[in-house]
Amino acid sequence: MSSAQPLLAAHGVSRRFGKTTALEPVELEIREGDGLALAGPNGAGKSTLLALLAGALEPSAGGIERRKGLRVGWAPQRPAQYGRLSARENLELFARLEGEHEPEQAAMRLLDEFDLPGKASPSANLSVGNRQRLNLAIAFLGRPQVVLLDEPTAALDPEQRRRLWERVGALRSSGGALVFATQNLEEIERHADRVAALRDGRIVFSGSAGEYDRSQADTLFA
Amino acid sequence: MKRTFLVFRKDALVLRRSPLLLAILLAYPVAIALLVVLVASYGSSKPRVALVDEDNLPPTVTIAGKRFHVDRTIDEISKNVDLVRLSPDEADRQLEDGKVVAAVTVPPGFVATLKGMIQSPKVEVELSHGTISSRVNQQVQALVYSLNRRLQRAYIGNNLQYVTLILQGGNGTVLGRQFNVLGLARSERLLRRMPQTPQVRQLEGFVHDARLALANTGDAMRAVAHPIEISYTHSRGRTRVLSAEVQAYTLAVTITFLTLMFAAGSLAAERDENVIGRLARGLVSLGQLVWAKVALAAGLALVLGLAIALAFGVVIQVGNVTGGEPWERLPLLVAGLLLAGGSLGALGALIGVLAKEARTASLVALLVVMPVVFLGLIPPEVVPPAGWASALLPFTHAYRFFSASLWELHPWSQVARQAAWLVVLGAIFGGLARLGARRLLA
Repeated sequence: MSSAQPLLAAHGVSRRFGKTTALEPVELEIREGDGLALAGPNGAGKSTLLALLAGALEPSAGGIERRKGLRVGWAPQRPAQYGRLSARENLELFARLEGEHEPEQAAMRLLDEFDLPGKASPSANLSVGNRQRLNLAIAFLGRPQVVLLDEPTAALDPEQRRRLWERVGALRSSGGALVFATQNLEEIERHADRVAALRDGRIVFSGSAGEYDRSQADTLFA
Repeated sequence: MKRTFLVFRKDALVLRRSPLLLAILLAYPVAIALLVVLVASYGSSKPRVALVDEDNLPPTVTIAGKRFHVDRTIDEISKNVDLVRLSPDEADRQLEDGKVVAAVTVPPGFVATLKGMIQSPKVEVELSHGTISSRVNQQVQALVYSLNRRLQRAYIGNNLQYVTLILQGGNGTVLGRQFNVLGLARSERLLRRMPQTPQVRQLEGFVHDARLALANTGDAMRAVAHPIEISYTHSRGRTRVLSAEVQAYTLAVTITFLTLMFAAGSLAAERDENVIGRLARGLVSLGQLVWAKVALAAGLALVLGLAIALAFGVVIQVGNVTGGEPWERLPLLVAGLLLAGGSLGALGALIGVLAKEARTASLVALLVVMPVVFLGLIPPEVVPPAGWASALLPFTHAYRFFSASLWELHPWSQVARQAAWLVVLGAIFGGLARLGARRLLA
């Protein structure tokens, strides 16, 4: 496999919902070791772009290109799990769907790594923070090479944030990549090496994390 | 297939975790089915009919020599209606209010005309407007028919007295005048004693023929009065509540409610829980997701349908009801439950993708299920368009399948036809649900 070929690429990808354009045509490439932050105000199109990259949404135009055999993990902004199943049952179900060879063990491993309760109570009864942890844990099933995380640290306590970034750092170090949506400038500075800033469905800034400073963020959110 | 099964297993687990919901959703359609049976039983209930007596009917009336106790006679002949004596004004008022469905008026001079035996007296019937007026009309006609039969018997008996007088001879009375009749039998005896001339022999021959002919008068009069007699025998069959028809309706109504609501609700719930995007990105295709819901509906229909059939069967066996439960038809019923559940589940899935949200989908399914069921209950020969519409929905075919498999001596052609309908409708609704499932991703 040529390393020149990106892991994931968006070619002129756009998305409309009825008459509303959520995302204008976007060109984007994700390569090994990348840490790409998607910044921008609410409704800018960050979540739509992540869902398109994950394959959860079909583009209205353009296409998403994935390196053959690439495994992608995705954690949407709103937790996506079955409320009547426990955390372990959710993890086991998605592990089986992701094709994990030992789904029970994979579920137990992630329960431990994300410090999730192993009780049989429904996940709908979990705290907001625990539901977000479960949401993130599901994204790491199937041993993904690219993780797409939509505002991943919202509702996480500092210790859980630290553990998440550690895990993501390890993934990038092993040739994987991270794309995450955030509005937190500090997270961009610490965990991203590139930034794509969106506004009204368009990429209005694309550059290194170092170039994306507070003045640009202030302009974006103005 | 494995992924479809995983979603199916998840739904079954979720269902098991909602026993209260399951109990309510099971009890509700069973209650509806029983209400439908009760409403259907209304067809044989007694309508309230006013009797307006403007002739001041006496306690007893003697007609054609036979004495009738008026109230007892009315009670005996009005078994199918609840006959209440009312004044003319009260009858009008209650007819307008709908408290009585008809008013039968006995006009002045009714008994006198009846006793005269020359003209037919008339009763006046006024019917309310409404859907059951034709049934009330039939029951009022039946009431008058029963009365006429009793009077005919009296008339025939009275007329036969005169025929007997002509045959046997003796004293008779007409319009208060007494007279003596020689009679054919005595005439024949007299003729035998006379010198046997050719004329006497001719007369003897005529009298003999006349006796034979008049001897059959009674049978002839009864035959003319009733060209066709009805012979009633008491059936030892099972009650309506335990009949195969009610079993079939209960099964069809119950699984229609449950499968439509569960398939619609559970498909839309995938979007409500925000999981559909996760699944659709290659884990479970939209087609697999729709068919998982169809399988869920089929499984649900099988489990609950069998439970209902077993409950009926146990009651029938314990009660030693005539005919017993057709246990040998259970495999056929299993096939029907799976097919009907799947077909209805596909319709439910279509409702789910159109409604998009679980609560809306459940509400829409509930709103849809009522007309689907009631369309299927309307006899197509009564309202043909209802029959055409219900032919395009799985409920009617489910009912016919269950009815044939439980009831008919040779069910195969009917079962095959209904199975084909269920498969085709299931494929159409399932296909449409698959096409519409993209809406859930938006």
